[in-house]
Amino acid sequence: MKSLEQQKRIFIALSLIIPMALLIGFVVVPAMDLIRMSFTDWDGYSQTYNWIKLDNYISMFQNENLWQSLKNNAVYFFGHLIFIPVELMFAVLLTSKLRAAKFYKTMVFMPYIINGVAISYAFSYFFSPVNGAFDAILETLHLEFLIQSWLSDPKIVNFVLTFVSLWRFSGYHVILFMAALQSLPQDVQEAAQVDGATSWQLFRYIQIPSIMLMVDFVLFDNIRGALQVFDIPYVMTSGGPGYASSTFTLYTIDTAFKYSNFGLASTMAVAIMAMIVIIYVIQNKIIHGIFLRRDKG
Amino acid sequence: MKKKIAALGLCAAMTAGMMAGCSSSSAPAGNTDSGNAAPAQTEASGGEEAASEDLEGTLVFAIWDNNLMDYIDSNDMVGKFQEKYPNAEIEVEKIKDDSEYWNAMKMRASANQLPDVMFNKPFTLSRFQDYLLDLSDLEATKNNELAAGYALNGKILGVPMTAGYEYVFYWKDMFQEAGVEVPTTWEEFEAAAQTLQDYYGKDNPDFMAIALGAKDEWPDYPYMEFMPALQGGNGQNWNDMAKEDAPFAEGTDIRTAYEKVYDLFTMDVFGKDPLGMGNDQVTALFAQKQAAILALGDWGLQNIQNGTDDYSQLGTFYLPVRDSASDPFRVIVQGDSFMGVTTHSKNPELAKAFVEWFYSEDWYPGYINYVSSASSMTNFPKEKDPILAEADALQPDMEMVMYDGGGDDFQAIQNEIAFDYKKLGAQMFTDGFDLNAELNTLNEKWAAARTKLGIQ
Repeated sequence: MKSLEQQKRIFIALSLIIPMALLIGFVVVPAMDLIRMSFTDWDGYSQTYNWIKLDNYISMFQNENLWQSLKNNAVYFFGHLIFIPVELMFAVLLTSKLRAAKFYKTMVFMPYIINGVAISYAFSYFFSPVNGAFDAILETLHLEFLIQSWLSDPKIVNFVLTFVSLWRFSGYHVILFMAALQSLPQDVQEAAQVDGATSWQLFRYIQIPSIMLMVDFVLFDNIRGALQVFDIPYVMTSGGPGYASSTFTLYTIDTAFKYSNFGLASTMAVAIMAMIVIIYVIQNKIIHGIFLRRDKG
Repeated sequence: MKKKIAALGLCAAMTAGMMAGCSSSSAPAGNTDSGNAAPAQTEASGGEEAASEDLEGTLVFAIWDNNLMDYIDSNDMVGKFQEKYPNAEIEVEKIKDDSEYWNAMKMRASANQLPDVMFNKPFTLSRFQDYLLDLSDLEATKNNELAAGYALNGKILGVPMTAGYEYVFYWKDMFQEAGVEVPTTWEEFEAAAQTLQDYYGKDNPDFMAIALGAKDEWPDYPYMEFMPALQGGNGQNWNDMAKEDAPFAEGTDIRTAYEKVYDLFTMDVFGKDPLGMGNDQVTALFAQKQAAILALGDWGLQNIQNGTDDYSQLGTFYLPVRDSASDPFRVIVQGDSFMGVTTHSKNPELAKAFVEWFYSEDWYPGYINYVSSASSMTNFPKEKDPILAEADALQPDMEMVMYDGGGDDFQAIQNEIAFDYKKLGAQMFTDGFDLNAELNTLNEKWAAARTKLGIQ
């Protein structure tokens, strides 16, 4: 007769078979295949390909347009990063006893559930130079001097697109923060209040450290989202003018499908993987360094 | 920490895998059974009555054209085909647009999953040539006036459904009010645009003498894609460029054409911000007479008509690329939507029979009269829409240039150096763009690519 410990192990092993098979089949194997393809010159449709060693990696590093696209990703990254404290504040505000909080929550989350392509298309018209709603608003407010070529001036186009991205995704982050905040035990917070803690002290020393796991996730999601942003620039500007608003993913997809270079596109996909990990580790060290070290001290 | 990094790696792999997973899971290695699927050539014609009963199976017919889809739905294409081939079934697969179509077809080609019957454009024929059967023996091919011109290595791999012409749409009343004649040379075209911009632009800052949705990049194709071929009257221009090391040098057709385009694009006749608007927006504005000129294919007529109730003043002329009235007036013509049978078809005889039927009296005349495009079949000629026919009336002595989208060598170089002429056209609208520097750089990259790819 098997002991309880053995039965437990068998149960865990059996339960893991299906998720592991799915993970290996749909994540690990394609990722390995992606890495393998990054060393080939496969064009995406031919029946043969050649091994070209590190040529794709060299070509990727020498590609000026790709670097330009990566710089554009940085605008999304920093835009969203700067906005995270604001999202956190909104979450705290909406978690507190605010009148019509449910209505605000719905409003905040609504942009996230609308189709991204539809949003991008709508904002194309919003920022249109002819009959555009945004220019009309500025004119109504007698602020004509602020009118710009919102989608065609290389100096501002990425900021406009980042604004649309913020509009769409901030609500999602707010909801995540709210979920984390609502799961905090009330007694600790009440005890702190009884001890005379101010709202800021409550936020800084109880709420923030308690939801650090969620902050970590949002920061990771920011990196992933910023590096993989695609639909907004694709629909609103096609990455143009030139490569002024192209992004790493947009360029990767063009490389694969427009220029039939799946080998090089795979190299770029591998690079994205590496970048997500590296940036996350660095960011994590910095953020945790700021908050947790102080807490320990 | 190591565990954490490993977990992170897995997360990152998941996100990147999602992005490239579709392609990576369809590895090209070992993809050899397409040959098995390709049967010996069979005759679909001859003894059709008896054969139609014998042919059975299911065909997948993949399309992207909205007009064709509407017509198929409203005219029960499957039912009509089954009247002649009772044991056949057809699954019509509609894909969003042609860009998405090529993406899907590329992936399906590598996975041996191409539909039985697919469409091609002139520039995709060479890409899919290994996956298409020779249709030279079909009656439909013999009756098609353009098919033979696009044969690759002696094989006709697709039967063009329509003959595509490019037009410049314009509002006759607006021309008349501004005192502008229909231009017949490039210089006149530029002058007409300037006059229109000056005349209407003084009261309406949003006015565009020429409407162009450069935000989408592709709408500049009448200028960037076709003008090099029109300049020298050489439909094989892209293929000839692949044979040279410096095809963008001074005096070449493409450089001359792009210099003309650059002059036009920098004349401020495209409204205040052509890069800020897409094709849908400018077409709607043109339909509302917020613009006087719009260059598009024949398919554009339906879009313009959908945007206005009154198109009595709508006219067309062909883009005048020539330098003087004594030069020949050249007009682009190209086969469009090449219907082909793939080597992955399990029922190639039935698929060929379907192509024959599609271009027969039972189906084609109704369809071609439904769309604004011109017929490509000699046995079913079609009178042009009166608006489109105006362009022909204006240039009775025009010279046709049959456009080829570029073969293997051209596309290999194009992919190697990421040469995108439509993007280049959009870039011409940006401040600080230096055409000479750009073309010289392209020359250098072109020569290097030819050497690397071993193209002679």
